[in-house]
Amino acid sequence: MTIIIDEIAPRLRLLNETLREVARRPSALVGGAMLIIIVLTSLSFPAVYNVNPLSQDLMARFTPPAWQEGGTVAHLLGTDNLGRDILARLLHGSRISLLVGFAAVALAALAGIILGLISGYYGGRIDNIIMRIADIFMAYPFMLLTISIIAVLGTSLFNLILVLGLSDWVTYARTIRGSVLSLKEKEFVEASRAIGTPHRTIITRHILPNVISPLLILGTLRVANIIIWESGLSFLGMGVPPPMATWGRMLADGRIYITDAWWLVTFPGIAIMITILSINLLGDGLRDALDPRLRNI
Amino acid sequence: MKKLSFVCIFAAVALAIAIPGPVAARDAGTLVVVQEAEPVGLDLMRSSIQTTMNVAYNIHDTLFHPQEDASVTPAIAESWEQVDDLTWKIKIRKGATFHNGEPINADAVKYSFDRVFNPDIQCPHKGKLSGFKEVKVIDPYTVTISTDAPFAPGLYMLAYYLPIVPPGYIKKVGDAEYNATPIGSGPYRLIKWVRGEEVIMERYDKYYGPKPAYKRLVFKAIPEESSRIAALLTGESDVISGIPVHQRKKIEDSRKAYLTPQMGVMPYLGINTYEAPFDDVRVRQAVNYSINRELINKALFGGKAIICNGPTSPRTFGANPALKPYPFDPKKSRELLKAAGHPNGIKVRLAYGTYMSQIQEQSEAIASDLAKGGIEVTLEPFERAVMWERYKGKKHQLFIYWWDDAPEPHRYIYSLFHSKSRDYYYKNTKIDELLDKGAATMDRGKRALVYNEIDKILYDDCPWAYLYVIPEVFGVANGVSYQGKRDGFLDMRYASPKK
Amino acid sequence: MLRYLLKRLWHTVYVLIGISVISFIFIHLSGDPVMLMLPGDASIQEIEELRQQLGFNDPLYKQYIRFAAHAIQGDFGNSLYYKIPVMKLIVERLPASLELALTSMIIALVFAIPIGVISAVKRGSLLDMGSMFAALFGLSMPHFWLGIMLILLFSVKLGWLPTSGRGTFAHLIMPSLALGLSLMAMFARLTRSVLLEILSLDYIRTARAKGLKEQIVISKHALKNALIPIVTVAGMQFGFLLGGTVIIETVFAWPGVGRLVVQAIFNRDYPLVQAIVLVLAVIFVAVNFFVDLLYLYLDPQIRYFEEQ
Repeated sequence: MTIIIDEIAPRLRLLNETLREVARRPSALVGGAMLIIIVLTSLSFPAVYNVNPLSQDLMARFTPPAWQEGGTVAHLLGTDNLGRDILARLLHGSRISLLVGFAAVALAALAGIILGLISGYYGGRIDNIIMRIADIFMAYPFMLLTISIIAVLGTSLFNLILVLGLSDWVTYARTIRGSVLSLKEKEFVEASRAIGTPHRTIITRHILPNVISPLLILGTLRVANIIIWESGLSFLGMGVPPPMATWGRMLADGRIYITDAWWLVTFPGIAIMITILSINLLGDGLRDALDPRLRNI
Repeated sequence: MKKLSFVCIFAAVALAIAIPGPVAARDAGTLVVVQEAEPVGLDLMRSSIQTTMNVAYNIHDTLFHPQEDASVTPAIAESWEQVDDLTWKIKIRKGATFHNGEPINADAVKYSFDRVFNPDIQCPHKGKLSGFKEVKVIDPYTVTISTDAPFAPGLYMLAYYLPIVPPGYIKKVGDAEYNATPIGSGPYRLIKWVRGEEVIMERYDKYYGPKPAYKRLVFKAIPEESSRIAALLTGESDVISGIPVHQRKKIEDSRKAYLTPQMGVMPYLGINTYEAPFDDVRVRQAVNYSINRELINKALFGGKAIICNGPTSPRTFGANPALKPYPFDPKKSRELLKAAGHPNGIKVRLAYGTYMSQIQEQSEAIASDLAKGGIEVTLEPFERAVMWERYKGKKHQLFIYWWDDAPEPHRYIYSLFHSKSRDYYYKNTKIDELLDKGAATMDRGKRALVYNEIDKILYDDCPWAYLYVIPEVFGVANGVSYQGKRDGFLDMRYASPKK
Repeated sequence: MLRYLLKRLWHTVYVLIGISVISFIFIHLSGDPVMLMLPGDASIQEIEELRQQLGFNDPLYKQYIRFAAHAIQGDFGNSLYYKIPVMKLIVERLPASLELALTSMIIALVFAIPIGVISAVKRGSLLDMGSMFAALFGLSMPHFWLGIMLILLFSVKLGWLPTSGRGTFAHLIMPSLALGLSLMAMFARLTRSVLLEILSLDYIRTARAKGLKEQIVISKHALKNALIPIVTVAGMQFGFLLGGTVIIETVFAWPGVGRLVVQAIFNRDYPLVQAIVLVLAVIFVAVNFFVDLLYLYLDPQIRYFEEQ
């Protein structure tokens, strides 16, 4: 029992300190609060606004937002080119967009952690191989890689997450590897090794907890990139297939109506901007609080 | 401070690269045409892409000029007579020359015809001219063209797909170079092609026909719709193509440009008739009953589209006037599905290409209609290559494709429904027979009746769900007078400054 | 030094081989272009003939060996779509891409570094918060959205700039701005955070303690070191800019390689895709090599040949 407390107590203290450190940065607080609101909204909106985002009303297409001439309260933010409710699509789209962003990052981070840990901890030949592959991926233009893979796999929500995640593992692997290399030389790791602790235990007990913070920061900032990139893929016709709504798809599909019906692109545009802004604010705050040395990401 | 000077040099170099010489000023004698894509080559014999052919038609000329009613008028051919059902005798205009001065004569015509069938050229129009057997030179300015069987649309096909090219020049520079710097017989000669930017042409002063009004002709490409329309409205371009329906009113309201009709795009919902559930004609009819064409037309096309009753566009020769479009009747659709053994409706996939403007919203609207009729649809957006790949592998169930509604029915009905052509998921020996008969019937009145019958059979058998024809337009600046043609080709010899 | 160069060379070689294999596999797995090369009414027989003629029926490894054997001799073949040598196409488009990438990069750096420096020096001030917030804003806009907005404002509404195309300096302004804005935002943030860290280091304190003017401390001592990470990131981003600008190139009809390669992927123009991916990778490797050399210049303490 005491052993567990001994293990956990310092960690709890660390977490507590970290949180306090984060809370001292207004930008992180604002960003975090905004992000929490966005996530909560996307989880809970059906209780308040339960409108089908797919139901079409062709004769009511391009209804402007409620406060404009010709708008109705039934469609607060207006309707799109097929007469679907924009607010409903925006809310449903938030789930997909956030899912794509977070799931792709989680996938990339997972791949990056595993490869980065192995590479950094074991070193030698395996390190060499992994890093050479990383070099190749680094020099392969990210966009061309994602497009080529989607061309093979086809478009679907799952494929999109898979592709964005797998194309992005290099940054994580390199960051983790760097952290591991410096940790390996630290006394507590060497001591642990000297008393014969198995590698796996060293990795999970000593190394992993200490690379979490760079990972957290990197991941947060990458979520924003992924969401933007999803809209880029939609622009090229390779995003999540319709009728599913994502912010990127709404933006890309609405762009041809930009001069006739500004609300088609403005609202998803604002949604993307606010979300990314909050993620970046939070990420910046985390970085300042946790590890000011990580500036290159 | 060394770093600063380094940065300065860097910046200076960059700016030097960035600022090229002054642009040639736009003058009244120059016409600028902007399309969706740049040409892939300039040899008319080597591409079937509309945007490419649009450019190449200004450089090349053919034996005849096609007319809106699927007849032809003289061009390089001065006159012609039908010797028998299988042979035309053609007199070639004397004194006409290619842009390099090479004479246009019987040898050039024969060379051009043979070049179409040269495997190295990979001529995409080969199939359309496959009804022809050979060209024989009678004297320097007379040839005969013969066919294996009577071929009614023969001259019309030649008018589009047999550009007359200079044998001497091609033998000298080779086929690859000809694709980049062609010497044609058309009203404009190529000056320069800056790939990715523009194709510049100049009036050919020794052209045998009427002189074009504009001395200089420039083709450019702007892929993004809103940018292209902006270029017309700011006066950077005189003529643009690719204007979606919803943007048209804005162009008209701008008072800076007007619209002129061109070809129509005829989308259709293809059905894989080989496999269940669509091997049952009742299920195919159910699809036809579950599309609200009127509403889609009203909402998406402002009522400007033409509803199709059968596979032949109402504007095409041979369309059956007695047919009425399938009404929107979801109840009837469900009954038909029930009769075919699907009391709970069916679940199917609908594929469409992502590369055509507005096709996605049509697909989404159609999918929502089909659901009302008991046909639940999963949408599958594919890029061009995947769309074809899956088509070839017979993986489509329902798919949206389109064809232009050309005046001549042989051009598309044959390609789409004859079992000897590319296999579009439908086979019917009766249709094969009638199509062969239609191509071989020289009498125009009798020929129309054959196509009427084809139209009626396909109407009942539903290898497609018939949709509508969307008339396309060109946008033309107010200072320019230009009338679009039904074939959709941008023949700029017909443009002139507005008085 | 020689050892270092040899290492770099080996690095370049395996990266290029790796990339060519990966792109070869992906583009071939995604289907062949024969159907796209023929019109909609070509018969199945015509399609098969063309496929045989182009050698697409051979096993994949044979096709790769054929490609590699030619590529080593510098022959990348003809584009299936444009029907001319692919290298000719690339050479025609590359200047436009370089021009756009360079201008965007310069615009970004010229504005970003001063903004970043001022923000770092006046840390916590309204100016700092304002410009960092603006930078975040710049990072939060999808490129095509920004591009279309610029056209609507500057071309259609105000009539100041041409909508699209390439030619004069005026044509270059909007696309490079649309690309440069997010870069600018990124570099401003980077400059600020790097400088903040350096300003807290001992040697800066020493310099200040010696009574050096603050301006000199920052420009001579701090900024010089701050340039190292900035140059690194700029090098990475430059490679990205060359191939990753398809969206901006589409919106502004800019004739660069980005659009060329994405169209080539859509057209399954195998030789063109292969060649462009390789050219971009070569440029990427070259730029990073150049960046490495810049390190030597910026920080004479780094000595590559002493490594290992």
